[in-house]
Amino acid sequence: MIEIKGTMSFAGGVHPQENKRFTEQRPIELFTVGKQVAILLGQHIGAICKPVVAKKEAVTAGQVIGRAEAFVSAPVHSSVNGVVKDITLQSHPVLGRAMAVIIETDAAADNVKRPCPQRFGADFDASAWDPVRIREAIQEAGVVGMGGAGFPTRVKLEPNPQMPKDVIIINGCECEPFITCDYRVMTEWTHQVLAGVQLAARAAECSNVKIAIEDNKPEAIKIMHKAVRECREAKNIEVVPVRTKYPQGGERQLIKAVWKKDVPVGGIPPMIGVVVLNVATCAAIAEAVVCGNPLTHRVATVSGSSIARPGNYYVPIGTPVADLIDYCGGLDEKIAKVILGGPMMGFAIADLSTPITKTGGAVTLLTKEEITRAKYDRRETPCIRCGRCLQVCPAGINPTRIAHAVKHGMLDVADQYHMNACIECGCCSYICPANIELTGYIKTGKILVARAKKRMPQ
Amino acid sequence: MMLAQIAMDQLLRGIALSAATMLLLGTAFAVVLLIASVKLKVTVDEKVQQVHEALPKIDCGACGYAGCASYAKAVVANPELLGKCSPGGQATAEAIAGILNLQVRGGGSAPLRPIVHCRAHKGDRTYHAEYAGIPLCTAANAQPNVQACKFGCLGFGDCTRACKFDALHVIDGLATVDYEKCTGCTACSKACPRNLIEMVPFGQENMMTVACSSRETGKVTRSMCQVGCIACGLCVKQSDLFTVDDNLARLNYEKYEPSEATETAMTKCPTGVIVERGKTARQPRAAGEKAAKASA
Repeated sequence: MIEIKGTMSFAGGVHPQENKRFTEQRPIELFTVGKQVAILLGQHIGAICKPVVAKKEAVTAGQVIGRAEAFVSAPVHSSVNGVVKDITLQSHPVLGRAMAVIIETDAAADNVKRPCPQRFGADFDASAWDPVRIREAIQEAGVVGMGGAGFPTRVKLEPNPQMPKDVIIINGCECEPFITCDYRVMTEWTHQVLAGVQLAARAAECSNVKIAIEDNKPEAIKIMHKAVRECREAKNIEVVPVRTKYPQGGERQLIKAVWKKDVPVGGIPPMIGVVVLNVATCAAIAEAVVCGNPLTHRVATVSGSSIARPGNYYVPIGTPVADLIDYCGGLDEKIAKVILGGPMMGFAIADLSTPITKTGGAVTLLTKEEITRAKYDRRETPCIRCGRCLQVCPAGINPTRIAHAVKHGMLDVADQYHMNACIECGCCSYICPANIELTGYIKTGKILVARAKKRMPQ
Repeated sequence: MMLAQIAMDQLLRGIALSAATMLLLGTAFAVVLLIASVKLKVTVDEKVQQVHEALPKIDCGACGYAGCASYAKAVVANPELLGKCSPGGQATAEAIAGILNLQVRGGGSAPLRPIVHCRAHKGDRTYHAEYAGIPLCTAANAQPNVQACKFGCLGFGDCTRACKFDALHVIDGLATVDYEKCTGCTACSKACPRNLIEMVPFGQENMMTVACSSRETGKVTRSMCQVGCIACGLCVKQSDLFTVDDNLARLNYEKYEPSEATETAMTKCPTGVIVERGKTARQPRAAGEKAAKASA
């Protein structure tokens, strides 16, 4: 039997209230799609897709609607059967407004897509697939990192002779409070995830795989471990429990915990021979390669203390957040904030027509009371120099100094304090007893520096 | 008697010795300083100093240099740079020209003054939610869709803080320039995260402008803002100084001169987004008010 208690971790971090109890025990449910979906053409890092459908054109589920024209890019597909209503600007959780294909769903057609975990079993053998073909299938299916950043998976897996890959770390930490979609995927679609892991390892030509799961999910650790042992072909796959701590699921922090190496500031994991993949991405890889299905749906958690039916839903990409919330019982008067993602790193959204993207795995609804308990009304008081932000900072920088420097326009000073090393996890803002929005100031500082650099002609 | 004599002797000798030491040291240092003053002499160009004196010495950076001192140096080295000091204006340019024996060319171009390309006050805009983050425009701009229009003024006053002359204030959610105090130093236009503030050559005392930056389609703009440019093109029909490009009307500031045509364009604009800005500008008509039915 596997030891559940995780010992591996990184320096710093916080322990926010987990709040996973709302949705932890709810199996993945199918979601009935609403009247229309808005599929953003840029759901990943890299070049935005070019639309290949026209207004009033009928599209079927899985049809390519946006073609990727650069190497670092991924195509997008229609998630429903219907008619293209418009190609226009649509609210985007990060960019404000971005180009999207609006598709009116065909009410007569069967728009419910069922997941296919039953197609994968313990006897899955990845060696039947050619690595080049796997990578092509991943690219055609438009698979991108589903943990949040949205980096095209094919680019990640492409073997590079200059940077040989030593290890693939599968990220099943899910350290954000409230979110449980990855946990459900791991426990329900175990073999599918494992098949994806094997395929990814084959595509990346790297057999050393570690599946990292936080020890607050003992069930997932047990199930995954059992599946790995049952699987004949998975000799080099190891399940490693890691300590429950936020931001354990952060790429750099996870690499530090599991592989004991630091990713250089401004660099990326391949530089030190590591590839990190999210469990949901692995499930998508398996489906793309074995079933040939493009990435059109994802599991999303809708959670919060004040929503009637919280749960984990298999949602078509492009579904407006409003539809999802309505499906779960609608907005309550008490709800004061809707966040796409978790409460620590998610994006508060102002416009509920913002669609679900490939990268957004959760909708968290917070009540005014919950926000008040944490921070409220800009009740910022002076810094008392307690140093707690330094203690918890996983990047090992000095958030309070940087924030002060930004506040007073001293961007050069902020830069000297390694503002760029900040991963924007929010630990410092969370812990600050003076309620200073440290992460917010650091983010602002980064924007200001980027602007200043742009305007340097002389 | 003897003892006192010896003590006295000792004392005098001590004083003499210390005096001699001090003298020696002083002379030595004086020599060092003398050599240093010759060897390490910094030649200050008197003209540079005079030019620096003539400048406003506010180090605003409008000229493109780090401060007045570096501009003074630059202008002495390269007379082409004369007239770059916008806070000083014509008077400073003439003063510098006097020092450097130059001619101010063509009476100088029109002074640059900022125009905020938005005219929506709080009540004119659509908000999707309440922003509760850091009260800075740059931070608020990173939180999309709170204010429906992603082009409009955010009203947290990054420009006000950047202004050294107290010439820019946020009035009812809109950055408003006080043209009496403004010196045209460009600090505000650099501070605005939405690039709403453009430096415009003020050929006239009051300039007309299309006070909007929205590049959304007319329908969307109308749904977001009561005083946005909907790119209907009515102004273009009145005067060829207006052009509509990418869903936004624009006035050719270089060629602008008040005329009947521009006046009609202003009164005919259905959303009232064409307004006057300047020291003695007329108050724009209130938002939502129907365009006056001007008989062409």
